Amino acid sequence: MNPNLESQSVLKVRNLELRYGSRMVLHEVSFDVANGSCVVVMGESGCGKSTLLKSMTGLLKPNMGNVEFGDSLLWGDTPHPNDEVLTEFGVLFQGGALWSSMNLLENISLPLETFSRLSRSEIESMAAYKLSLVGLSGCEFLYPSELSGGMQKRAGLARALAMDPGILFLDEPSAGLDPVNSRQLDELILELKDSLGITFIVITHELNSIFTISDHAIFLSSHSKTILDSGRPLDLIDQSAFADVRKFLLREQK
Amino acid sequence: MSRQSKTLVITEEGNYVHFNLSGDWLLKVDSIEALGLWESYIEDRGHLISKCKFFLHPSSRWDSSLLLFLFRAENEIQEIGAELDFTNLPPKVNKMLGFAKERISKKTSGLPEFFEDLTPWVEQISSSLIQVSTFWGKWLLSVGKLFLGKSFMRFGDLLLACRDCGVLALPIVTLISFLTGLTMAFVGSVQLEKFNATIYVADLVCLAMVREMGPLMVAIVMAGRTGAAFAAELGSMKIREEIDSLRTFGVPAIDFLVLPRTIALFLMTPLLTLYADVVGILGGLAVGSQVMEFSTLHYFEQTQSALTNMWEIYSGLLKSLAFGLIIGLVGCYKGMFTGNNSSSLGKSVTSSVVISITLIVVCDAFFEICFSFLGYR
Repeated sequence: MNPNLESQSVLKVRNLELRYGSRMVLHEVSFDVANGSCVVVMGESGCGKSTLLKSMTGLLKPNMGNVEFGDSLLWGDTPHPNDEVLTEFGVLFQGGALWSSMNLLENISLPLETFSRLSRSEIESMAAYKLSLVGLSGCEFLYPSELSGGMQKRAGLARALAMDPGILFLDEPSAGLDPVNSRQLDELILELKDSLGITFIVITHELNSIFTISDHAIFLSSHSKTILDSGRPLDLIDQSAFADVRKFLLREQK
Repeated sequence: MSRQSKTLVITEEGNYVHFNLSGDWLLKVDSIEALGLWESYIEDRGHLISKCKFFLHPSSRWDSSLLLFLFRAENEIQEIGAELDFTNLPPKVNKMLGFAKERISKKTSGLPEFFEDLTPWVEQISSSLIQVSTFWGKWLLSVGKLFLGKSFMRFGDLLLACRDCGVLALPIVTLISFLTGLTMAFVGSVQLEKFNATIYVADLVCLAMVREMGPLMVAIVMAGRTGAAFAAELGSMKIREEIDSLRTFGVPAIDFLVLPRTIALFLMTPLLTLYADVVGILGGLAVGSQVMEFSTLHYFEQTQSALTNMWEIYSGLLKSLAFGLIIGLVGCYKGMFTGNNSSSLGKSVTSSVVISITLIVVCDAFFEICFSFLGYR
């Protein structure tokens, strides 16, 4: 990682080790995420990307290591993550994971009702504003089942943005989207990053997205169960010391 | 870092009104005080404003809650017809305001108009009647195909369903029917004692069990246990598009999913009813022999004399066949026609139980009325 940015790291992952039973999924995973940057975690299917995401978002306690946000640690001695840290995180799940029994306005209002000190009318305006950020104004009273896949993703993003998180985690944001929608989502991510200064951590294996949005890429290997290489994706194509990484980025067969 | 409250200071300098914002304009900070000040100023002196400027203290932290306030301020100042100057705010705030404004479409959708949305009752009822009869028709066709040997139903599925709604239901059926027989014996004995005819408690329990309580209690247990499970199982398959994927392979979902379940219930409910009849009579015997002190043999002889012909038992079994069919069909229908979200799954399961039990009671009354008119009682 760029040494100049080291001091501005907003999130530090330190020696993370994750196992399912006796099966090792990830070990010795350490990296820093610079403030306001977009870090992409890539790798083949089954290399532990989603497991890493779960552990960084407080859903799965690592067997060893920790995640540092500012001065606080995400994982303490208890099996539960530090809720203070979690309120600074926003997560967009693969399918959007909108609550299907609520309309979009209610979906976005729920975190605001729970955690903010806003009045009812302010919450509604705020939810409408967040929807407008992702280009869904006018859809406040639609239910998730009435939306297309791309719209569900964007609504999920609006919900993840509800509490103005410092860090947004996106799990396969372009999975299941057509190239146009996927491109639009990438542009939206870039705009949000530039204008709101949000830090993004994106799990994806969509090459176009990787080259478009990322400042820094981390390649997880399914063989060694750890980080194989990291750097700017365009540099990695020809400078990576690892054939696996170069081939992945060039879509070549092994 | 501790959060400071949102502060608004209003000063009037020449033609300009200055709105000085300081403190932390964050979502997690209360905004009642600052907003109250804003509201009262706009109300009292709003009409005097001709030009205004906004300032944000350099040490202030801010997020969307500041933008929300600025949106509101902009709207209200524009309504007054005054000039507004945001240029003294940090460039990032202006950038974000612009970013959001580009995206807010003018189209506003109000609350959905409930009464406009509701299609007329007649239309709704007729469409659901068509849906029900189509389902029923498809089911009958599927049964026909089964007899012709052209059905997609797998025999293994039928056996599994039989196990689920038959054998695995035995414990709960045992408990419920034993207690039903026992309760009836207690209640009956109190009344029969007045006429010194306590031995007729055996007749009472036996006839009530085989004619009415056996089939009814089994049906209610099955509706709550198995019918609801069918609705939930098929409903979640519908939501996860598993039923659609069956259709794309050309496998009729009715053959593959509905038929084994309904046939299993159709076959198992009478068997469970017969079992419940016996256990219910044993429940009566428990009271008869232990509390009323009849000999077991005496009680059984009295029971046997009450069953003058086998029709008493057959009539109950006939009912239970119909009940089994009702529960199976209602459960599967509700599952197959679940909406696309989790709340509709809940509604499907609930309504499958409610509709099953209602239909069972209606059907029971219908049977009894028919038996009476036809002289079978």
